[in-house]
Amino acid sequence: MAQEFHLKLITQRAGGGDPIVRERTVEKSELSVGRATGNDIVLADLSVDLQHARMRLSGPGRVSIESVSGAPFDVGGKAVMGAELNAASRPVVRFGDFSLALEPGPDDESVGVTITRDDDEHHASPGVFSLQAKVFGRRNMAWVLGSGIFLLCLAIPMIFVLFLANPKIHPDRQWSTGALSTAHAFMQQDCKSCHTNAFVAVRDEACLTCHAAAADKAPEALANAKRLGSPFEPLLISEHADHAELLKATPLPPGLGAKANVMIQRAFNHPTDRCASCHIEHTKAKGGTAEAPASDKPKLVVVQTCESCHSELKMRLKTTELIDTPDWSKHPNFRPVVMTQPGPAPKFQRVALDTAPKERNGLIFPHRLHLDPKGGVARQAIGLGKAAGYGEALECADCHRRDKAGTNFVPIEMERDCGTCHSLAYARVDGQLRNLPHGDVNKVIATLAGRTVAAPGGSDRMRPGGIRPSAFSGAGASAYRATFSLGGACYDCHTISWSGDTVQLAPTKLATKYLPRGGFDHSVPEHGGPGESKRGGFKCADCHRAQTSDKSGDVLIPDLAKCGTCHGKTTAQIAAADDADCTTCHSFHKPGQSTPKPGHPPLRALRWTEATSRRAAGV
Amino acid sequence: MTQVGGHHTERVRQRTHEGFLRHKGFRWAQIATLLCLVVVAVYFFVAARIAEPPSGGSWLGYILGTISAGLIVWLACLGVRKRVITAGHYSLKAWVSAHVYLGLSLVVLATLHTGFQFGWNVHTLAYALMMLVIASGALGIWAYATLPQRLHGNRGETTRKQMLEALESLDKQLHDLALPLDRAGAEVVRMSLEHTELSGSFWRRLTGSYGNCANTRALHRLKTLPVPADTRQAEAMEKIATVMEQKADVLGLARRQMQITAMLEGWLFVHIPATFALLAALTAHIVSVFTYW
Repeated sequence: MAQEFHLKLITQRAGGGDPIVRERTVEKSELSVGRATGNDIVLADLSVDLQHARMRLSGPGRVSIESVSGAPFDVGGKAVMGAELNAASRPVVRFGDFSLALEPGPDDESVGVTITRDDDEHHASPGVFSLQAKVFGRRNMAWVLGSGIFLLCLAIPMIFVLFLANPKIHPDRQWSTGALSTAHAFMQQDCKSCHTNAFVAVRDEACLTCHAAAADKAPEALANAKRLGSPFEPLLISEHADHAELLKATPLPPGLGAKANVMIQRAFNHPTDRCASCHIEHTKAKGGTAEAPASDKPKLVVVQTCESCHSELKMRLKTTELIDTPDWSKHPNFRPVVMTQPGPAPKFQRVALDTAPKERNGLIFPHRLHLDPKGGVARQAIGLGKAAGYGEALECADCHRRDKAGTNFVPIEMERDCGTCHSLAYARVDGQLRNLPHGDVNKVIATLAGRTVAAPGGSDRMRPGGIRPSAFSGAGASAYRATFSLGGACYDCHTISWSGDTVQLAPTKLATKYLPRGGFDHSVPEHGGPGESKRGGFKCADCHRAQTSDKSGDVLIPDLAKCGTCHGKTTAQIAAADDADCTTCHSFHKPGQSTPKPGHPPLRALRWTEATSRRAAGV
Repeated sequence: MTQVGGHHTERVRQRTHEGFLRHKGFRWAQIATLLCLVVVAVYFFVAARIAEPPSGGSWLGYILGTISAGLIVWLACLGVRKRVITAGHYSLKAWVSAHVYLGLSLVVLATLHTGFQFGWNVHTLAYALMMLVIASGALGIWAYATLPQRLHGNRGETTRKQMLEALESLDKQLHDLALPLDRAGAEVVRMSLEHTELSGSFWRRLTGSYGNCANTRALHRLKTLPVPADTRQAEAMEKIATVMEQKADVLGLARRQMQITAMLEGWLFVHIPATFALLAALTAHIVSVFTYW
């Protein structure tokens, strides 16, 4: 039997179906393999060289293959330049896309070679025109992004909020709708310091932790603020009135939208009577800039006007004593607090100013006498001279001294404010004058005990420092009786009666504030304060008719009409015109004081050390 | 619509081509515009009158927020709606038309809902994602309005299938022509056959940049090869160069087709994932606001 190769060429049909099989026998012991058409085995593959290899029968069932072009071929997955193969082991040799599978022929001398081409032809489908993305496919990205955001922005922060008490990190910070005001910025990291309960709007208790003004709670409030790390002393805040009464007194706000708003908020457990209803956080001030998004203090939003509650108030709050003030023109006239009964338990009463109320303050003091520019008092003041702080007829300020802020006056002190003229001297010892102690009648009596009248002669009115001769020339023998009798040091100003030998002085109490529910600023130039007043502004005497008052019991405050000279007027009417806003004289949290200007006190003044010194200074 | 002959033919043809943008004479465009105008008017009327700074927490803010959130959920439902086949008043075209115009109106509604308060928080994240969805949607509107024309203009009378068949046939020609070539020549042809990428990556499709296309490189290399002495080989090489140039033309056509298709579909790769991200962020926004009320 001659040496021969049985070649079997298998070609896949393009459209599928049974492959085409062509067989032929080459009666040679050596075959050429390559791309060129002259080869025994033609492999139409461009990765095959024109003359690539030689295949030779090297023994029974044995084939030797070697490269002739210098390009390798592949046997069992390895690139080789030559190989000795045993057909019985059915090796496969690869040239490019072609595989040549060897097998034993019908006899030992022949070998079968099955030639197939790997059908790796890739037919692009029109789908290739559509946009594809493997990793960043629409669906993948949708799920990854969606669930990622859900986890990071909702689920994880929620777990922290609901289940962790003092976490080290605060993923809920991302829920903050905006920076806190500078005053509250120290709590920026800890949402739960105010938002104590999830799904419950911030309640007043949270605010009062640091801001409660009640005497029993204030120390704790300040301590809480320190503990929470506040760099500022919190302002202690009082309620406008009893909260339950406030609720009763507050009507729904005007306007259909606002009414609906309030009712809906209440229905959703978001009441509108909370601290946080008016003091808004997490918002930049209206007109705030990007550089300074936070204001110093929470933004104040007025949800109710004064008028809305103080109109028809009695209808909603039967127990109130307040008179309706629906607008400035209907503001009731003043009803000063007047002492109607002196004594150890004095009685105070609000009396309408129109009824010319008289105070029973126990003091004898005719303003007219002291202010008469041609009277004796004036003469004495002139005589005292400029060096002593006088030199001219008396002015209000000679006795009424302003407090530090200048808005009010410090209470009258006898020794300081009257003593320059009204001497309390009763004796001269070693050339030094001895003064009676003022303020406690028993001490006066004890001081004078056993003394008798022994006075030098001279004028009845002595300069300060002199001993009044009449004090010691009373009808009685004792200095005690003389002092409390006509001509005595006490007699001029105090209402005195005798019970046998015992002197009785009417209790003396001067009003410090006639109008407890309103503030008045005496420091305003138009109110007689220092500085240049606008035309139409007032001096003391324009409001207080002291020059015609003979009794200390006269209530010398002006009526509301006086305020109306400027307030509520236009500058065309009077140069000193100003608004007639409720806040000018009243504030919400302290109705007895005028509303502080926005931003007052300034935040820096609330730093702990500064606040302490500010309070010490009484400002 | 009963008269279709004669002079009416052109009009009828136009009507049948009325797209989702012009649906029912811009009905949804009008509704959306009206909605925006009303909301803007109310906003500026109210904002000037309320004491608090405008924010999503005012009563108007809650109303705008509720409308906006409702719209977002409804707009997202287009993905569900388009998979359901119905007819009649609520046709898919009407739905898409409303989707487009009400979606655009959200720019006004949601912006006013914010009260122009933005920050690095989950709330602004939701807003930013919403704007991304709307911006990508706007890109989609532009794509759908202009690109089909360009697709048609680009391919002329050639279908996509024909383009692919042309490429296949050219490859076959190249292969057969290269069979007599020596190894160097065959390598060059193999480069064109085996390394030419028709489509390429997402960005390559969108930008249409195929600077190092294997076919182009092969053509350059082919021209640098020495002319073989064998005339058969020399002829083959000339023919190969011609076929490669033809292949380059077909590739250019197909790739422009792909680029336009990519632009037509690319916006959805932002629109859809951003929508899902938005729905998550919106949920976080709403829940967190009420958690820390």
